[in-house]
Amino acid sequence: MVNLKNYLEKLSQEFFTQLQGDEESDFFIHSEESQFIRFNGARVRQNTHVHQHELALRYQKNQRTLRVNLSLTLDFDQDLQKILSILQDCRDQLPRIDIHPQFVAICNHGQSQSIKKVVRPNDEEMLKTIIECFGSADMAGLYCSGPLRQISINSKGQFHYFENDFFFLDYSIYNGPKAAKGFFSTENWSKDALVKNIEQTKTKLGLLNLPSIDVPKGKHRVYLEPMALLEVLQTMSWGGFSYAALKQGRSGLRKLHQNELHLSEKFSLIENIGLGYVPPFNSLGELSAKQTSLIEKGKTINLQVSSATAQEYDIPSNQAEPDERLSSPEIKPGTLAQAEILKKLDTGLYLSNLHYLNWSDQQSARITGMTRYACFWVEKGEIKGPIADLRFDDSIYNLLGSNLLALTSHQELFVEAATYQKRRLGVAKLPGALIQDFNFTL
Amino acid sequence: MQTQIEKIFKSLSAEADFVAFKTVTEKTRDLSVRNGKPENISIDMDAGLTIEVMKDGHIGYGATSELTSEGIQQAFDRALTMTKVASKNAVHHFDLSVRPRSEGTYISHRQKSLDQISTAEIYDFLKKASQRLKVSDKIISAVADAMVIETEQNYISSNGSQFQQNFNIVVSSFSATAQDGAETQTRSHHGGRGNCLQIGAEYFNFDKLEQDCDQLSQEALELLTAENCVHETCDLILAPDQMLLQIHESIGHPLELDRILGDERNFAGWSFVQPQDFGKLKYGSKLMNVVFDPTVSNEMASYKFDEIGNPAEKKYLIKDGLLIAGLGSLESQARSKIPGVANARSSSWNRAPIDRMANINLEGGSLTLQQMISQVENGVIMYSNRSWSIDDYRRKFQFGCEYAKQIKNGKLTKTLKNPNYRGVTVPFWNNLAGLTVSDTVETYGSPYCGKGEPSQVIRVGHSSPYALFKNIEVFGG
Repeated sequence: MVNLKNYLEKLSQEFFTQLQGDEESDFFIHSEESQFIRFNGARVRQNTHVHQHELALRYQKNQRTLRVNLSLTLDFDQDLQKILSILQDCRDQLPRIDIHPQFVAICNHGQSQSIKKVVRPNDEEMLKTIIECFGSADMAGLYCSGPLRQISINSKGQFHYFENDFFFLDYSIYNGPKAAKGFFSTENWSKDALVKNIEQTKTKLGLLNLPSIDVPKGKHRVYLEPMALLEVLQTMSWGGFSYAALKQGRSGLRKLHQNELHLSEKFSLIENIGLGYVPPFNSLGELSAKQTSLIEKGKTINLQVSSATAQEYDIPSNQAEPDERLSSPEIKPGTLAQAEILKKLDTGLYLSNLHYLNWSDQQSARITGMTRYACFWVEKGEIKGPIADLRFDDSIYNLLGSNLLALTSHQELFVEAATYQKRRLGVAKLPGALIQDFNFTL
Repeated sequence: MQTQIEKIFKSLSAEADFVAFKTVTEKTRDLSVRNGKPENISIDMDAGLTIEVMKDGHIGYGATSELTSEGIQQAFDRALTMTKVASKNAVHHFDLSVRPRSEGTYISHRQKSLDQISTAEIYDFLKKASQRLKVSDKIISAVADAMVIETEQNYISSNGSQFQQNFNIVVSSFSATAQDGAETQTRSHHGGRGNCLQIGAEYFNFDKLEQDCDQLSQEALELLTAENCVHETCDLILAPDQMLLQIHESIGHPLELDRILGDERNFAGWSFVQPQDFGKLKYGSKLMNVVFDPTVSNEMASYKFDEIGNPAEKKYLIKDGLLIAGLGSLESQARSKIPGVANARSSSWNRAPIDRMANINLEGGSLTLQQMISQVENGVIMYSNRSWSIDDYRRKFQFGCEYAKQIKNGKLTKTLKNPNYRGVTVPFWNNLAGLTVSDTVETYGSPYCGKGEPSQVIRVGHSSPYALFKNIEVFGG
């Protein structure tokens, strides 16, 4: 088994010694050994084990940058030959490209190492445990497990290493078409905790056995569970907190950021790298601030600014990723106690999850989406029955502005479960939200 | 490299009931130019191996970028060990009929291979387009970008299959964002990344693009002073560059058999279509004829075999409005007993094949566009998708477009901004009242159809004529 850290040290040194004159280069490596198990009916549909090592190589000269991503074989001679061939290709192509207006010169941002591991049984044992714990329940979902590493190295002497060996089980349980959503990921593995998590989801599923309520479209009072509010936040994050998106006409929250409109004073948002689920450095190796306040009491304080954006618009960078997305957002809690949620909702919709959100009109910050999984009609603080899925279309300035009644005092933490192309690192921490006059259209 | 992999394959192919190796190498040049200056220039060179093993009727996978003897052996061992354990609790026990023996070669139709154009030449093309789009100071962002993709798949299996598929793909986008005071509007070339084709270096002919760039910029500026789309129930004509999304979301996804079987319930969702609906459900009006067709020259998702060796062929999914077949691979067909197609596909070497769309096309009708417009007393024509949302059963949708024109008494009148519409899938398609003729059919696609656990994006193609729908709720911003 190759020691990845030692391997990359040797490979990068060999490569950097080939650089000439004012050429500079850096490496950003994503490496994972992942076991994916896909379930349907609490049985295995597909199991896939993946060894994936990607090297993103930046080459710079004369204020121009080329980026080349390649798969590593972990055969030293083969990989070295490949990256030296890339170096030659970069030397040929780069002079034919114009100077980059967002050019960020490679710098030494120091050295660091962080290694975490959730101790747990091996994947074969975990599979047997999951099958046993769900028993006859109709469960669909994904188990994902294994180490994920991100490393940043450059020709100026920088070396950052981050490794997290963790797992999650992202699932839902069904009773015919009725379903409740569950998610399980812990810092300390415990079979009892998994059993408890499944029981909680089954309890919610049981509430769906009540007779269904036909809810008309129109405006309703709503409670969004933290997982539902996360869907709203993720849609807002789609360019919404990016300085570059604001300047280039792609921001859905322009009026907020330019002080034309505000959100509720109850709403504060920070990018909280300090939660510890992502590397303390970005993909350029720049050290990120532990906390960046973005929205404070409904007003924009900061936006995500990458070094490239900072260069282009001549403003300070806060070391955001080049795409200026949020990786560790936290919505600050409010005062609504968990035990008071139904009472304060009084009559309206209790929404566990939302689905497939998108901007319907960016200029007025309007979003549309659907309710999903366990959603209920509540009357006088009592759950009366599940609802058929409803479509909503409303402005963020209503939902998290004038119509936001309260945020809960408890927050929930969600580990990133996205696996497009590769596993993602990230986390979100947020409360639930009580909202009046939520607009349902279909 | 391929010879070495085949040698290792031979040494391992008898260790399970079935073994297949699929190697994928893919080079993607991704370039973006904004306001005439470089924004992103990157080259992605992905390579890896998928190992497929069947044990006691269950199929499992190993995948690795470590293309060495040790790396491949390790991936094989991990796949086989877990597959043995999983086979005791498998969803279904398959037989070897789900892995047909296939041999052959596929090469994307092209005049000049994409490896014949340099990165600098692509950059120059995009720079010209970006500069052409910036006709006014009110155009704050003039973006031209392209993904230029060269893919090679090699598949060998223990039942004697051996095929190679070689794809040349260009995905491009050209957009102008105009701003004046508080108003911002974007107009793009067929919406986001709708321009998707299997094509060679001949695509990069700026003469063909020049007029389109001029029109986009003018329409972006025009939208700054346009009225909001009306809010009413009226006739709606959708241009082919919006129909691609309508077909994708409200026909493609609900017909995927793995969704109907429940595999996707925890992520992309289920489907309103039930197994008993095939052969019975009146999905749309009699004008509606929809085909699965990976055999079309130059369309985004054309191929000779799917990724388990099933030969690709054209098949009607909906004929004269009646639902007749689903989008299911041999595995889904074996599980559901519903007729399907050759569509087991994966995003790359690191993901297992699942049921996918490929090219899903709506066939043309009998009207010219002018005849269609003249039939509309009160309505709207919408162009180029910009917003999309649909529920997890694929019933209730809401889609938005970039640009619209009002139609009054059979004539196009004023320009409308922020056009949106919503509906419910089966009633919507049953309101289909007209299609333009075959020579008005336009072909687009998407490189980013998301689905699966672990998640995958796949390339799809969609072609369509202009389509007229009656009694649709339209609204503005």
